[in-house]
Amino acid sequence: MRDVYVAGIGITTFTRLEFALSEIASYASMMALKDAGITEVDQVYVANMGAPRVNHQTALASAVVDSLSLTPAGAAAIENGPASGGSAIKAGFQAVASGMDDVVLVAGVERMREVNGLEATDFVATLTHPIAEYIYGVTLPAHAAMFTRLYMDKYGVTERHLAMVGVKNQNAALANEWAHLQQEISLEGILDSPEAMTNNPYVAEPLRFFDACPVSDGGAAIILVSEDKAKELGRPMIKISGVGQATDTHAVHEREEPTDLLAVRKAAADAFEMAGLTPDDVDVAELHDAFTILEIVESEEVGFFPKGEGHLALERGDTALGGKIPINVGGGLKGRGHPVGATGVAQAWEIVTQLRGDGGDRQVEDASVGFTCNFGGFGNNVVCLTFEKEA
Amino acid sequence: MAREIYAYRCQKCDTMHYPFRMVCKNCKQNDFFEFDTVPLPKDGKLLTFTRVYNLPAQYEVATLGLGIVELDNGLRMLGQLEIDEPRAGMAVKGNVEVVRKETYEDFYGMVFRGA
Repeated sequence: MRDVYVAGIGITTFTRLEFALSEIASYASMMALKDAGITEVDQVYVANMGAPRVNHQTALASAVVDSLSLTPAGAAAIENGPASGGSAIKAGFQAVASGMDDVVLVAGVERMREVNGLEATDFVATLTHPIAEYIYGVTLPAHAAMFTRLYMDKYGVTERHLAMVGVKNQNAALANEWAHLQQEISLEGILDSPEAMTNNPYVAEPLRFFDACPVSDGGAAIILVSEDKAKELGRPMIKISGVGQATDTHAVHEREEPTDLLAVRKAAADAFEMAGLTPDDVDVAELHDAFTILEIVESEEVGFFPKGEGHLALERGDTALGGKIPINVGGGLKGRGHPVGATGVAQAWEIVTQLRGDGGDRQVEDASVGFTCNFGGFGNNVVCLTFEKEA
Repeated sequence: MAREIYAYRCQKCDTMHYPFRMVCKNCKQNDFFEFDTVPLPKDGKLLTFTRVYNLPAQYEVATLGLGIVELDNGLRMLGQLEIDEPRAGMAVKGNVEVVRKETYEDFYGMVFRGA
């Protein structure tokens, strides 16, 4: 298997975007192509979840590859729920590692604000089990809420811990010019003050408004290349050293231990094993905090902290910028926003930014090993990646 | 006749499943729908729950109670709750009712109330 490097990255602002879906993907891709210094690729993968349903567009990759004048390169869209981005990176990795392609563009894109919030909620809920979950009116916040209650009972996680994640990540987004939320929040405002229940109402008890990521439009892109090509292009040598993907039961209630996220545990373990790394080697991590509880639980399942102690690490400040293992320093999904198909690619964009030392005010000092966890479904399809900077 | 929701028992190894799946998750040996259908029990205890305030477009109610229930035969299922103050561990009883209405079709599922 050949080594695979990230030679270029690009991103759009995550917010409400009044551009066509394929244009959003193309803007991010143009930045990535320019960053890498190339105008041709062998293959394009476009990660997206909702185009057919939300944007009334199918075969998105054909639109993107042509819009970028990259024809006749191969192109395919990858729909894998909220893990579409990580899955598209995995496909691009395999294409380069196998020797079949030397240069692959991986773009992720979503335009969810084209429909109203109720329709967007319903669109995401279609990833749940059609008979055992969806017909009951289950939403992703509802799944996260029921999971949170179990976690609170079992491990002592409180609404304060959840709010602490929200404050940490949303305020971290202030240092990321591409992030959706650019408003500073405090525990006072969302939890402690008399106005807190008005500012921060329940979405699905015990989860509140500020425990959930915003609904965003946006795109992100990376260029994957072989080692020879990476050296030729002369960009910083950032290697994707580990790739892990794992699945779990479709219906959440079927899991033997309902507080475990086994797909996260296995995907992370596989990525670390492939890279020959351990969780302790990681300098900066992007976890999939679509809901605040998920950052806490994923920080345990990927191996940064023992099971049931993620909230204690949060209390100690271990997961903040300057802590033992800074998590979501670019805002995470909570602050940067969560255009579902783009998220996995945006996580890679942030890690490469950090490993290149281009993080500005949010730069993790001497970061040389990065990690991403892209969480699909409610934990039924997860992709984890490790990134390493080479001298 | 009262409506039922069914569990699926593997004819080769007796493992019970809910919801339906094509291959038994225990023995992985059954090939073509080799399951017996068994009505799910209606009694159980509440494992976890939530009240949802942001509902998908089709719902014409302000909030919706949802929970996961551990049924008396050990299987779990998700259902709607008609319970004012749910508590984890409380005994509940289910009934099959309309849980979602769409233009041309009503969908039936389990609704749990305090036992």
